[in-house]
Amino acid sequence: MNTFKTLILMTAFSFFLNGCQDDEKPTIDDEKPTIDLTIANAFPTSCDTLYFNEPFSVKALLIDNVELGSFNIDIHNNFDHHTHSTEIKQCTLDADKTAVNPYTFIQDYTIPDASSTYLTDVSMTISSSDGTDLYDEGDYHFQIRLTDKEGWSTLKGINVKLLIR
Amino acid sequence: MVKPILLSLVINLLYCFSFGQTPIRFDGSVVDNKNKPVIGARVLLKSLNKADVSNAQGDFSIDDLTQNTFVIEISCVGYETLIQRIELTENKKYIFQLEAALVKLDGVVVEGNYVELKKEKTSLNIEIVNDDYLRQNLGGSLMKSLERLPGLSTIDIGSGQSKPVIRGLGFNRVVVVENSIKHEAQQWGADHGLEIDQYAIDRIEIIKGPASLMYGSDAIGGIIDLKNKTVPKENTFGGSVDLSGKTNNDFIGSSVSFFARKKDFFATVRATILDYGDYRVPTDRVAIYSYYVPLHNNQLRNTAGNEQNLHTSFGLIKDRFKSTFYISNVHTKYGFFANAHGLEPRNVDRSVHDQSNRDILYPYQEVNHFKVINKSMYNSKNWKFESDLGYQRNYREEWSQYAPHGYMPAVFPKSLDFNPELERQFEKDIYSVNAKLFYNASDKTQVSTGINAEYKENNIGGRGFIIPAFQHLNLGSFLVAKYNYSKKSLFQAGIRYDHGNVNVSSYNDWFVSPNYENGDTTQVYLKRADDISRNFSNLSWSIGYNFNPDNWTYKFNLGKSFRMPIAKELAASGVNYHRFSYEVGNAGLSPEVSYQLDAGVEYHAMKFAVGVSPFLNYFSNYIYLNPTSRYDRLYGFGNQVFEYTESEILRYGGELHAHYEASKQLRFGFIGEYVYTEQLSGPKKGYTLPFAPPASAILNVKYQKPYFKFVTNAYLSLDYKFTADQNNIVPPEVTTDGYQVFNFSLGGDLVMHNQKISIAMQVQNLLNSKYFNHTSYYRLINVPEAGRNFIINISIPFMGNLKHN
Repeated sequence: MNTFKTLILMTAFSFFLNGCQDDEKPTIDDEKPTIDLTIANAFPTSCDTLYFNEPFSVKALLIDNVELGSFNIDIHNNFDHHTHSTEIKQCTLDADKTAVNPYTFIQDYTIPDASSTYLTDVSMTISSSDGTDLYDEGDYHFQIRLTDKEGWSTLKGINVKLLIR
Repeated sequence: MVKPILLSLVINLLYCFSFGQTPIRFDGSVVDNKNKPVIGARVLLKSLNKADVSNAQGDFSIDDLTQNTFVIEISCVGYETLIQRIELTENKKYIFQLEAALVKLDGVVVEGNYVELKKEKTSLNIEIVNDDYLRQNLGGSLMKSLERLPGLSTIDIGSGQSKPVIRGLGFNRVVVVENSIKHEAQQWGADHGLEIDQYAIDRIEIIKGPASLMYGSDAIGGIIDLKNKTVPKENTFGGSVDLSGKTNNDFIGSSVSFFARKKDFFATVRATILDYGDYRVPTDRVAIYSYYVPLHNNQLRNTAGNEQNLHTSFGLIKDRFKSTFYISNVHTKYGFFANAHGLEPRNVDRSVHDQSNRDILYPYQEVNHFKVINKSMYNSKNWKFESDLGYQRNYREEWSQYAPHGYMPAVFPKSLDFNPELERQFEKDIYSVNAKLFYNASDKTQVSTGINAEYKENNIGGRGFIIPAFQHLNLGSFLVAKYNYSKKSLFQAGIRYDHGNVNVSSYNDWFVSPNYENGDTTQVYLKRADDISRNFSNLSWSIGYNFNPDNWTYKFNLGKSFRMPIAKELAASGVNYHRFSYEVGNAGLSPEVSYQLDAGVEYHAMKFAVGVSPFLNYFSNYIYLNPTSRYDRLYGFGNQVFEYTESEILRYGGELHAHYEASKQLRFGFIGEYVYTEQLSGPKKGYTLPFAPPASAILNVKYQKPYFKFVTNAYLSLDYKFTADQNNIVPPEVTTDGYQVFNFSLGGDLVMHNQKISIAMQVQNLLNSKYFNHTSYYRLINVPEAGRNFIINISIPFMGNLKHN
């Protein structure tokens, strides 16, 4: 009978352990922010084409359950097809090639304090050359990264083409 | 902790073959390895059911024997059970020498009689295991094999590398000591395993809680004290051949050792070779963030590895003096999951990567750890002097394809003096000196004092910067006293003073980045680290009390310990290629200070034991890498900034273990562990700390038989591990669901032509369950734990006597 009691005791203890885990404090934010590219005029979205020297606006809806932190835009070449889109849509990529003078863009952006939603409105014009040489045309990766105030983060990476027209 | 004397009770039973004879008498005596009588040893002739117990002189006598050939078994608490085949010669007195034993945690269940002298002699919470345990629970790495011990968990990187975590604290807060010298490598990296050969380890002591006094500062979370094979008996030689195989990652491994000892001299050698392929997980695709990676044959692409280790030790033993050299070289090479390395989830050429599951392509790491240790001691009547000298060289290279990111040039310039594919390189030399003096002031009082000195020098190379080059000098001294009130209670107290100096060397990028200032853009070689020199000093202390009335053990310990910030915490400034983050040090950090209260209560009877060891811990400033809401363009290539921050931490929890012996053969065991952590201040107030282990428990059933057909020491064991959800998380973690997993093991010893062969088999993750481990390095990218794995270890020991000259 002793065995039985022991087992009961052990099981009881294990329930106690499980129980402890459920004491979550409601004050803690454990939700990541989200980047919504499904809004009406979202830009760019998967497989879009950006043109050198032509202005465009980055439109994405940023949402957090508490407070947004900041966001970042990164454009880099994907000539070696090193990365895929985080979107479902598959784009047709050009053949692999070696970068000669690829375009690179990295920039951080602030979001007004106490915002829980924010519609980005970043105006960009990508110059076709670095002053001496033309930038490479082709497949690029356009990446938006977003944090909330607590440091949770999320990213959207999409395949775009960067061309001269 | 004057002398680690380890106790155990091992119950083994024996066969013997009988032949009719006239009654004869069997006389003998039992001695220990110092030829002192062993009192109370049980001498058993099992098949005859005859036994005697050795008297105060160690003598025993068994009458009326009708046969002269049998196997005897001599067992005594604190000694390894001796099993020997005897052919009796009349009128001869036999002398049997017993070896001091190690506590066996066979399976989860701590052995029948849970009297462990070592545990009674210290107020610290301690676990002890030996090589039998390791063989029976062989995991992918030493730490993985130890994972089922109460309070111990691991941070795993693939199938062959793990870092130790004691009660939720890991990295530089857990000190690993091998042969009395602190193992030093690049412990700060979550993806850096422990450069230790698990086949070479004979005995492990794990101290949970602050144990900084004797081992140097830093051991704020605990100590894992590893010991290589102890000195062989006089005029013997021997060795062993170990063969291991695992199905999950097509692992094959072998370790061969040899030892010999003349009277005063002894030497050992060991060589270990391991080779494994990509490990399998019960899924055919993995979602790295939202990017799906298909897996070929359920194999985690490019996680193969190999290891080649060499060890030798040799030494001199005199009556009062003993000196041993340990020289070892551990070399490992293993790949990283190829799709999850770099600044973002990566597409790889699958036709190349999936060609073979055994090749190691980019990205991979290669580490060589060389170690020379001299350990000497001199004994006198009332005192003992010990010195440990150590030199270690840790050389680590991390290789990956040159993938320019941020402002690195698209084409690597030829003018630079390093290989563009070399992502990072660390070269670390470590010199250590310990001198300890143990003094028996009276029958009741023991005092020990000593100094530790350690000098570390780290150089860096490769294209990516994360930690700077540095020099670190640390000096410490301690005084510990132990007072035995009575046979059943003792009081222990100690203090330690440490002084350290860290010198960080400045670092500039090898490529230019565009700096925008006042509307101008300038191209600059960014300075990532400044020259920093910091001095730290601190006084630590500890007091403890231990009381052992009859069937009970009570322990209590209160201590303050501290840890100096490491160079990475002070001066990191680089991108973490696995976490997709930019990590920044803080040159103004103060040393981490922790106060901890530990207790332990245990009841042990003949067939039943239960123990609980709770702890309460407070950090006035815990140093940790805090994810901020910022991004950094210039230094961090646009990655999220993670910066080293200090915050107050409260932690509590404990372990519970119990076992019940239903019969001589059948035993039930239970181990449970739980840790709660909360940040009391700082930017993440209210959150836990990263890598918090979820509550977990193991239920074990073990059936063992001294004989089963032709197998001796046969056992069969089933572990049922259940782990709770982990919902206490901190950015960038994700919650992890609880899981249940079954591990099955069986084994025993075969004797063929007087040759023993030990076989240990396991099936891990019996049901091939798909589950996630919250403390796995690959958790964040949704890689489940390894699928079903059959493991076999065959160990063939051999031994003989050297002829006397």
